[in-house]
Amino acid sequence: MKVTRRSDGLRLRLDPVESSILATLFTDLADALAADAFGTGDPIRDRLYPSAYADDESAAADFRSMTENGLRDERVQRARDCADDLSADDVQLDPESADRWIRALNDLRLVLGTRLGVAEDDDTDHQFGPEAQDWAVYHWLTWLQDSMVDALSR
Amino acid sequence: MEGMAGTLTPQREAATRDEFEEQFEADRPWVTIVWNDPVNLMSYVTHVFMTVFGYPKTKAEKLMLDVHQKGRAVVSSGTREKMELDVSTLHGYGLWATVQQDT
Repeated sequence: MKVTRRSDGLRLRLDPVESSILATLFTDLADALAADAFGTGDPIRDRLYPSAYADDESAAADFRSMTENGLRDERVQRARDCADDLSADDVQLDPESADRWIRALNDLRLVLGTRLGVAEDDDTDHQFGPEAQDWAVYHWLTWLQDSMVDALSR
Repeated sequence: MEGMAGTLTPQREAATRDEFEEQFEADRPWVTIVWNDPVNLMSYVTHVFMTVFGYPKTKAEKLMLDVHQKGRAVVSSGTREKMELDVSTLHGYGLWATVQQDT
C-alpha cells in the first residue's frame, strides 16, 4: 500500500488483498451500524455516541435523542462510500473524499480499538495472543490513517 | 456594600443580589471540552481541530497536546446552542467531546 499526495488530493495504491480486506471492514461496519448491532451497555456504543454532558444525564439524553440517528447515518454512508471507492485498485481522492476516508478509518479504529481494549501507553506484545490478527488489523489501520493525515498536511 | 446600609431594605438588597447572581449565572459562557482517549491519533486530532474550527496548525497542535498531556482541553466557547453544535460535529469525527457551562 502506498499513499501519495497529489495537487488535487490523495492517491492510494493498494494490492488486491489489502483492498479486499478494507472493503470488507467498511461494509461490515456499515452493516453493523445500520442494524444497530452495538446495543445499550456495549462500550462501543458509548464510544461512538459519547455523552455530551458529563454531569447532566437529562441534558445528555436530550442531546442523544437529537443527534444519534444522524450520527449513525453519517457513519454508515461514509463507510459505504469508502467501500465503493475500493472498486478501483488505484484510488484517487479529492480533499473532501480524503477527509471522508480519514474519518471512516477512525470509525473502524474506534470500534476495533474499543473491542480490543486499547489503552494509553500499552506496550504489551499482542503478536501471539488469541487476538493477534485483530491487533495486526488495528495497527495497519492506524498506519494507514496516520499516513493519510500526514500526506494531507504536507 | 458596607457603609451603604439604609439605602436599601435588607429584603430588597437580598432580592437584588439574587437577580445579579442569576444574571451572572446566565451570562457565564459555555465551553466545548475534548477529553483524551487511547484511540484517536495525535495527528488526527490536530487535523480535526484545523478542519472543524479553522484553527492554524500551531493552535491546533497546542490544543491537541493539552488534551494528550493534561487529559482535556477547552477547544471552543460561546452560546450553549453553538457548543452543542460543536460537540455534535466533534462526535462525528469520533472525538470524545462534552459541553458544560464555564466554571
